[in-house]
This record gives sequence, structure tokens and C-alpha cells, in this order.
Amino acid sequence: MASLDYAHRRLVNTLGPERVARGEFERMVYSHDFATLPKIALLQWRLYPDFVVLPQTTEEVSALVRLSDESELQITPRGAGTGWTGGAVPNRGGVLIDMRKMGKVLGVDAENRTVTVEAGATWKAVSDHVEARGFALPVIPTNAVASTVGGAINSGATGFGSYRGGSLRDSIVSLEVVLPDGNVLRTASDRDADGHLANLTPLFFGAEGTLGIVTKATLRLAPQPEASRALAYALPDLAAGATFLKSLVDAGAMPFHAALLDRDHFVFERALRPDTPDPATIVLVALQGPKDEVSDEEKLIDGLAPKERGSKLPADLAADLWSRRYQNYGARRLSRGLIIASNVVPISRLREAVQRAARIRDRLKLNGAIQAYLIDSTTAVLAPYVLLDDTRPSGGTALGFMKKMGDAAFEFGGHPMGLGLFFVFNLRKMHGNATPFVSSVKTVFDPRKKINGGKTLEVWTKYTWPGLRAIPPPGMAVGLELAAILRRLKPFRDRFVRSYETAREG
Amino acid sequence: MGLLRDWHYVERAVEIPALSEMIREALIRALFVRDDRVLPADIVADLNRGPAVTVRVKDDAEVRKLVRVLNGQESTVSLGLSAEDYHYFRTRLGVGRTREFGLTARPKSLLTYDWIVPEQRGVQLDFSAYAGIEFADGGHRAIAQVGAPWKTLYDEALARDEALPVVPTVPLDFAIGDSFYGDAPLASYRGEFASHVNGLRTISPYGHRARVGFEEVANNGTAYDLLHATLPLAAEFFVPVAVALRLEPKPAARKTLTYAFDDGSKVAAALDRLTRSGQTIAWVHVTDASAAKVLRPASPPEPFTVQVSVGGTLTGLAAKEKAVDAAMAGFKSKATDVPNPFDGPAEAYRKTAESVGRGLFVGEVRLPAKAFGDFAGRVRSYGEQMAAKAGLYASARGTGTVSVFPFFGAPKDRTKAYDLSKGVNAVAGKVPGAAFVSRLAHLWSEDPPFRARMDFLRRLKLEIDTAHVMQPLVAP
Repeated sequence: MASLDYAHRRLVNTLGPERVARGEFERMVYSHDFATLPKIALLQWRLYPDFVVLPQTTEEVSALVRLSDESELQITPRGAGTGWTGGAVPNRGGVLIDMRKMGKVLGVDAENRTVTVEAGATWKAVSDHVEARGFALPVIPTNAVASTVGGAINSGATGFGSYRGGSLRDSIVSLEVVLPDGNVLRTASDRDADGHLANLTPLFFGAEGTLGIVTKATLRLAPQPEASRALAYALPDLAAGATFLKSLVDAGAMPFHAALLDRDHFVFERALRPDTPDPATIVLVALQGPKDEVSDEEKLIDGLAPKERGSKLPADLAADLWSRRYQNYGARRLSRGLIIASNVVPISRLREAVQRAARIRDRLKLNGAIQAYLIDSTTAVLAPYVLLDDTRPSGGTALGFMKKMGDAAFEFGGHPMGLGLFFVFNLRKMHGNATPFVSSVKTVFDPRKKINGGKTLEVWTKYTWPGLRAIPPPGMAVGLELAAILRRLKPFRDRFVRSYETAREG
Repeated sequence: MGLLRDWHYVERAVEIPALSEMIREALIRALFVRDDRVLPADIVADLNRGPAVTVRVKDDAEVRKLVRVLNGQESTVSLGLSAEDYHYFRTRLGVGRTREFGLTARPKSLLTYDWIVPEQRGVQLDFSAYAGIEFADGGHRAIAQVGAPWKTLYDEALARDEALPVVPTVPLDFAIGDSFYGDAPLASYRGEFASHVNGLRTISPYGHRARVGFEEVANNGTAYDLLHATLPLAAEFFVPVAVALRLEPKPAARKTLTYAFDDGSKVAAALDRLTRSGQTIAWVHVTDASAAKVLRPASPPEPFTVQVSVGGTLTGLAAKEKAVDAAMAGFKSKATDVPNPFDGPAEAYRKTAESVGRGLFVGEVRLPAKAFGDFAGRVRSYGEQMAAKAGLYASARGTGTVSVFPFFGAPKDRTKAYDLSKGVNAVAGKVPGAAFVSRLAHLWSEDPPFRARMDFLRRLKLEIDTAHVMQPLVAP
């Protein structure tokens, strides 16, 4: 392996000094993603990259990938770091490629209803850009303000609009990807000419940056809706809220988005913003489409709410909740960290699943809120979040919640979302006998494991000595199970918000 | 489907010194139409070597056993055949010789044409008796075994107050499995067939049951989405035996709106407007006069007929109909009493399918809605020029893309199919934004990015099917 100083010189020669960083502070910033990790994790992984680089063109990304053949440093591509499974943090240092300098919207093709963007553009920026031109994105990831196009594609994200507009995967026409050998691949033809039979885009959707570095994406556009309306309904409890969501599906409603937010979420929000509505379990529905269709859908949904003892909330409150849809995890400011357990579960078992999530949260003595939303006629995303303070000795034990939620999702016929660095043990549970097929994809695209190696399919440690270089994935599961046990043994719940405690005691 | 095998064969054939002088397209023509005079004897032998045994599948355990025998894990004794069958099986297959045996599935209905390189004396699976359908209680989904006729699934779903979102653009009597080992053009207004699939139950090249994707939920955030990347070619990677499909609740009211147009350019403008309207629609199908004559023999054929299937609440439907009427501006007449072509009895559907299947289809052309009129006009003139009357079936997607399936009143021989394919390719090339995506068009393509992608798929196939059982690649 070349020395780090030599590697630095080569990187500076490629990008210039202002786009290569190796200072302690920059490296620390890039050593974690949205999830909070206990410091003890540093014993296992070298989470601090050796260098952080900011390319501006596909050619520069390609050059960086080729450089790693000389330096033998691992490459970790990263968007905004809004994931929570460690997919965008290094495990053995190396070169971290921050794609956010490649953040331009390259152009809207109004005739073919597509937009081409660089991978570092945020979804919100793309959405604003196309809206100004009379179009809309059919699907927008839930954390669109920060989440980058490449990041969401790599994490196989879901989002607002999936229920009506289809999967985010289907809204991608093609991707431009820098492969581990530095060559550039277009994953499908923009004209669908051969995309039908040789479309590699799905392989990169959810790949967590392990097959190559997505540099550009061409996305489908939908017509801007004639009317948009947000509706909110207060439900007596989580179970009723889940049943109400299912009843929307059964009745054939086609909302743009339909989400369940439990009352604890509003308890946290109120601690941050006094103008938050009174805490209650709320189902938030957004309708978009032709005016008549929106009115008809509203009538249909209004008719379903009373069956679950739901009451409609004022329109301005619903509009306010909808306008705040991207600021969903403000509660993080109440503790020092927050983790989200994203899972998909069948809608037919959503009621049981939300109740189970609440039980797990309570059993582990965690502060948290349960959230769920629909993504198609069979599937809902169940994404509860819990607060944690990683400066307390017990902070890291909250990670046991992710494990328990994932197990519950499997039990209900669903699966957790994301494998990254921390949840590789779920791979076999997800794919069963098809696991070797999934692993074959990495072998074909990146046999030398240059790009984001040691993740998604296996867990590398920072050590390169035989016997210690990787952790058997079940080992991680045992660790997280142990965290959950310790959490249960903890005599009392963390106290972050007095009103939360009051609410629970009440 | 055997696209990877055909593509691999062509790629390798053009490397043969004696053939490297030949233009790729001329070689493909010779292979496709079986012009044995210009082909070396070895290649002719490959093309003549069809599957040796056909196995009618009744249970996936039989497929598992067969895979294990073909990949060498078990001997033919374990198949449990009678002495007579055992002898027949071994002799036909040529067991004991040093070569690979592959498995291939036989489509129930093939829209276009057969593949170039047949299974080399391997086993052909006939799934027509493997046709069970399970519906999930309260789950808006079904698991259909690959031999289940599409129409049976559609009817049974409706009987359970569910709706199968995908319908065939060309109404042939397809089995569900024809979508991945045939060329069934199942799609909805919202998306392609794959968009409605949660997962596949397959038999791996090692004889294991392997689920690709999921059955009850969508596949998000579970590493590489192998399901959607390989779905149209799934049978070249594993043996799909059942597919988990998402259904939709049957709307309270449904209506099929039928609009007659006298001009293709008006249809194009109407489709463009409709796909920009944001309406939720089940499917939009277009037929020209030739296709309409086959589909609706009792009614006088209009130059173009657009059928739009909409659903919703009783009150909402009226407003939706008005909106669709507005988008369809330019139509000559409208009818609301023309029945949904897919709702009729299965027997009548099959009869119509037989008539539809008499046309010579060459594959799919994808184009922007706006270009539909231009393409329809050009195909008609091309048909006249070739003395083969042209017609077309088409369906529109909400994305603004139209899938057109041209057909010709010509005898179904391979030379004709090839020449007409070539012609349609040339016609599509003249229409801005149009692309001919037939299997032959894939073989013709020398576009480097396309070849790079196909090469990745080929390598992936070889990595997954290391035992060379799933339609093994053949090189001349």
C-alpha cells in the first residue's frame, strides 16, 4: 500500500488542494451517518476516513476510483449521510467521496418528461426545479431536504408519492455509474430502447454504493397535479390508526401519501415547538391529482374515518402538518441522538406491527414514536424512531431496538430496510436460499471489493489480520441482542422530556 | 426467455474467423431464417439440436429433482421413473456423454417467434398443468403458479373483489409465466408487469427452493434488486415456478370508454393529453381498423379505436369520464356500451385470442404518445409496400410512453418475420423517440453501452448458474 502522504499528493493532483481534506475535524464529521453510534464502535471499525474528497465531475470520480488501484485505499461513496445503517461511513478509513459538489440539475426534457440530475443534488432541490417548470417528481424520499439523489437510490428508499406514483425504482429511467474499474456505465437506455431487456438500474437500487458510484440519474417526471390537499384525522390509538390506513387501501383510495403518526411524536414536537397541535394519534393523508378526483377521494376517506372512531381535524392544521413533512426528526434535539428502525410490513398485518413496535419500545424503556406509511397496495413502511444519548453508558444499548424491530418485521412477513455495515446479519433472513445469487452481483461488478467493501454482504473490521478481518454477520446480531437485553435490565427509562413522562403516566 | 443464449451465440459466432467477415446482421439473418447454405456445419448442428425430453410439471419437487439430476448432484435413478421411462429418458438425453444438459420452459403462447438457439437436447418443462392460484386473505395479492392462464387469474381475482392490474396489450391466451419465459406483453397504465410483482418462487440451479424478492411486501433496501433486474430473463437464471403479484381492490364502479378516431395524429394528441392529465386509469388500449376487425367482428371497424378503462366510486366515475372525454378531444364518436374485452367468458376470450394469434407479430415498438400517429401511418404504408396488410395493437402508460405491437397479414414463416422485423426497425428509426425493442432488435444492436450491459447480465448468469443448468449458454 502506498503511503498516506503519497496518496494525498495524488489526490491533490487530481482535484486540487481545496477539494481534498484530511483534517481531524472533517474526518470526524464524516465518521458517522444519521444513526448515533457509541464510541466503542471505534474499537471495531476505522470509521474516520483518511481523506475526504469532493469531485465535481464524472471524470473526476472515475479518476479517483482509478487512483485507488495505486493507493489500495478503500473507497466509500457518500451523499448527505442521511442513512442509518452505516452504508456511507468507512469501515477501514480510506477515501470518502462526498458527492454533494455534483449537485446540479442538468436539464428537464419536457417532451419526454424526464429530468437529468447529478447524484449529489438533493431531492428537494430537484423537486423545486421541476415544479418551476410545470412538472412534479412522482416519488420524493421522506428526508428530501437533505437526502441526495444518489444516496436515496443507493439505499433503495421509499417516500412520498410511492402509493400513487409507484416505486422510486420505477421512476428512474437510467443511471450513470462509475464502475470499480473506473469505466462509466449507463444502466439503461433513456429511450427505453433496450431497457426492457437489459436494464441494470434495479441492481443499483439499494446497492448501498457497493457496486459503483452513481454520478447521474435520469428520472421520470409526472404532470404537476391540478389540486393538492392535505387531510388529517385524529384516531383514538395506534391500532385504530393502522386499521384506518388499511381501510383506505381496501376502499380503493389513491392518496399521494398516507401516514400514521403516533401521539408521542407530537409530544416531542411540542417540546420543541409550542405551536404543535395537541398530541394525538394522527393519520395524515395527502391527495394530489385532478380537482374532481381529489374531492371525490376526500369524500371517500371522510366516510371511512368514523368507522375507526376517527375525527377530521381542521384543514389548516392538516396543511401545516403536511408542510412540515420533511422535518420529521426534530426530536433528535431533545436527546443527543436518534435512531430510526425502517422496516416494511404487509398492510394486512400493520395493526399488529404498530402494536408490537410500541411494545418493544416500552419493553426496552425507550423514548420514541411510532410512524408508518403506505407505499403500495400490499406494503407499508413501519419506521418508529427512538431517542438516545450516546454519551451515557447505556446510550448504545438503544441499538437493540433496531434488531428487535427487524425481527418483528420478518415475523410479520416483511423485512427491515438497509444492511449497510451494522445489519448484514439480516441478509440471509431476507433472501434465504437466494442469498448466494445476491452475492453474485457484487462478484460480477466488483470482484476486488474496492468500492464500499465489507458491507451489505459481509462485515469487515478495521483489522486486516487473518481471523480478525471480518466479523461473522451473526456476531453482530448477538451484539445487538445483548444490547437489547442490557436495555431491558436497565431499571428506568431515560428522561429527555418531562411532558413525555407526564403523558405516559397519564 | 433465451435472449442471453441467443446473444451469446451471436457474439461468439462473429468471432469465428470464417464468419468474422460476415456482417453481424447478415449472420443473424442466416441463423434466424436457417439459411444453412451459408452457415458452417457445426452451427447448423447446434440449431437443429432441440430439446430431447419434455416433462409435464405437476409439482415443483419434480423440477427440483430434475435440476439435481441435470447438474450432476444426483443420478437419473433418483427420478424414480419406471424402467421403460428411465431407459427412454437416458437414451433421449444422451446421459453418459460428456456434455451439459439444460432446462428450458415452454411458453403457453408466444406472441412473436421462437428463439434461435434451442435447448441442446436438454429438458423442456411444460408448466401447463402447474397452474394453481392462491389469494391472500385481506392482502390484495396472489401467488400464481407459472402455468396459470392469465385470464383465469384475472377472472378469479374479480370474483374475489380484487383486480389484477395487468392486462395483455395483445390479447392472446398467455400463461402468467409467459412474461418471463415467453414474450407476453402484460402491463397496466401505471407500469410494466414487473412493477406489480413482489417476488418469484424459483428453483435454484442447485435444486433449492429460492424466493427472489418477497411475497407479501415490496423489495426495498435489501441490497441488489435481482428480481427486477432479471425478471424479463428470469428463466435464464433460475426456474421460476410461481409469481407473487400485487392486486388492487376492485373499484366500486368500472367503465370502459370507447372512442373512435379517424386519424392517427388525433389519437396521438389525445394520448399525450391523457397521459399529462394525472388521471388514475386502469389501462388504455389502442387498435387500428385491422385489429378492431379481429377483436370486435360484430362492429364496423373504425380507423382507430381507443379504449380507456376507468374505475372509482359511482360519483367519482362521472367526473372522471368527463375528464377523459376532454382529454380525448378530437374523437369521432364515443361508446360506453362496448364491453371490457377482458371481462367476457374465458371461452370467448380464447376464441378471440386464436384469431388475434393468426397475425404475424414482430415485437414491440416504444414511442412517445405524440409520435403514435406518425408511426401508425408509416407502418401502414410499409405494410402496403410489402404486400402484407399491417395492423397494430397498442397500450399507453402514464409516463407518456406508448407500446405498439404491429402485426402483418402474412404467412408465419421465419423469413417473412425477419424481413418485416427489419422493416419495422427501419420505420421506428425514422420516428423521433421511437425504439424497436424486439428480441431481434436486441441481437442487432451494436451499441457499446448496450453490449456492456448484456455482458454484465451474461456474467451474472454464469456466476449464478455455475452448474450450467438454466438454459446453458452455447457457443459455436
